[in-house]
Amino acid sequence: MTAKQLTPEIEAWIEQRWSRFPEGAAGKALTLGVLYQAQETFGHVDTEVIDIVADRLGVTAAHVRGVATFYTMINARDVGRYHLQVCTNIGCMLDGAYELFDRCKARLGVQNKGTTADGNVTLSEVECLAACGYGPVAQIAERGKPEIPLYFEHLDEKKIDAILDALEAGNVPTELGR
Amino acid sequence: MGENLKIISQHFDDPQARHLDHYETHGGYRMARKSSSMAPGDIHGEVKASNLRGRGGAGFPTGVKWGFVPKDAETVYLVVNADESEPGTFKDRHILFWNPHMLLEGMIIAARSLGVRNAYIYIRGEMQREFRVLQDAVDQAYAKGYLGEGIFGSDFDLDITICRGLGAYICGEETALLSSLEGGRGWPRLKPPFPAVKGLWGQPTIVNNVETIANLPWILEHGGQAFADLGVGRSGGLRLVSVCGHVNNPGVYELPLTVTGNDLIEMCGGMREGKAVKGIIPGGVSMPVLTADELDVPFEFDALQNDERIREVETAPGVKFDLGGGRTLRTMAGSGGVVVMDETTDITKAAWRILHFFADESCGQCTPCREGTGWLASVAHRVAFGHGRAGDVELMASIADGIAGNTICALGDAAAWPTLAFLTKFRGEFEDKVKNSHDAAPAGAAGGAP
Repeated sequence: MTAKQLTPEIEAWIEQRWSRFPEGAAGKALTLGVLYQAQETFGHVDTEVIDIVADRLGVTAAHVRGVATFYTMINARDVGRYHLQVCTNIGCMLDGAYELFDRCKARLGVQNKGTTADGNVTLSEVECLAACGYGPVAQIAERGKPEIPLYFEHLDEKKIDAILDALEAGNVPTELGR
Repeated sequence: MGENLKIISQHFDDPQARHLDHYETHGGYRMARKSSSMAPGDIHGEVKASNLRGRGGAGFPTGVKWGFVPKDAETVYLVVNADESEPGTFKDRHILFWNPHMLLEGMIIAARSLGVRNAYIYIRGEMQREFRVLQDAVDQAYAKGYLGEGIFGSDFDLDITICRGLGAYICGEETALLSSLEGGRGWPRLKPPFPAVKGLWGQPTIVNNVETIANLPWILEHGGQAFADLGVGRSGGLRLVSVCGHVNNPGVYELPLTVTGNDLIEMCGGMREGKAVKGIIPGGVSMPVLTADELDVPFEFDALQNDERIREVETAPGVKFDLGGGRTLRTMAGSGGVVVMDETTDITKAAWRILHFFADESCGQCTPCREGTGWLASVAHRVAFGHGRAGDVELMASIADGIAGNTICALGDAAAWPTLAFLTKFRGEFEDKVKNSHDAAPAGAAGGAP
């Protein structure tokens, strides 16, 4: 197995951005952006990825680890091919989000943050997605497809079932999202 | 000005509006062009005259904030806070998605006035769609020569860089945002020094909300006074309000500041299924709830803070909460995120969900908040779900009072204030839950729980 390395796209992104930050501050400032892109490449952020990012940006591994563990969008382990994120915060809760989240758990046979045995879907309860007027809301991310994710709004049992059916069949029902 | 004047939202729902050429056909970038040759002080004068107040939550006068930048500053940064994540709030996302060039034009105007060479937009990580729209808009503006060196053929240089968050509510707090923008954990910093004096990389930095900045082209075109005249008292302009919950037509509305809670419900097509309203959160879940008989007060910054028709928040029946300096707390206009709850809503569950959120999002720096929000969420959970214990209502109030005012940033207050307000105004619901708890000792039983 060859050692992991940052993709040419990430390298180009770093080059392009470096001068937008004051001298000596760019390496640290780019930590979040590089970590996120590294996660898109490698699926998750583990010790090896942390070391690679720290080396490239000229910051300590401790700093990168501190950042990686602070933010919820960085995953220490792989998530499924599809990441179904259901908001249950106040606006969505008033519209019945918990009932729908329970339905997702039952159908997928997983708990919150769990991944189906076939690695297809990870289910997460997430905080407010800033679409409170159109709840309940979910967001679906597909690994390696930056044009996804989409927001799925006004969810009800029928719509959630259609989404889960589609994910099981290996596609994101983009016609239901926006 | 017409009754239905829209400053920011008139092209919401028009997919063409996000393209630069289309924006220009509606007069876009004329004010940015004009500003590029204006004296910075003249722009600042209009902003001060406009009575524009920050639309992110605190409602601080924008012109005053800009005035805090030291006159001899060599490097000044402008940062736009696009980290909208206060539950109930979804207005900035609309601006970013439908009208990104209005934000960029406002940034050019602000940057010109403040003497900024490098400006940043910090956008919420979850908003991937909005990020792509915004990045497209920035790329279009560079291609046209509206950003970069010598913009509009003037001697004014400006770069705008978009930085993405990675999922942390706290980064909407301006000093946490700066910590995150510098590449670290989103840890708030003690104020003073305020960012306008010592912010990004130790330099004077103005952090403004998306909606705040998007108002600037209109202010420059029509004059600060005209904007002030649209408002009331010390608050200028109109306001984007996002409404969710039990109304027929939830959504984003651009409204005069004189609109009351009852007006708002009517504009949203009334209550769903004709039910009665139980409570309204007026400005994002950090803000104290209003009851059905407090909805004739305008949703304006000063009115919501001071109008005597709104009951003061208490720490115990008859004991007013001290906001500091002897001031009491009614509520605040906050972020304009309105949550409408009808008569069927279980307030104890709503309170628990809000506290669960703050416990999840506490950054962990300050003990009162790190521990206190967790305790609040845990006690609120057992009360709401039928396992409350005698004294839990007093315990919640005591924890909230212990957090408030004792933390670096306002997240602690954001958890404490709504807790105390729910307990002040819906105390009976919490007490009933405790009284009817599954864990309550049966009448006549000897002894209590071990």
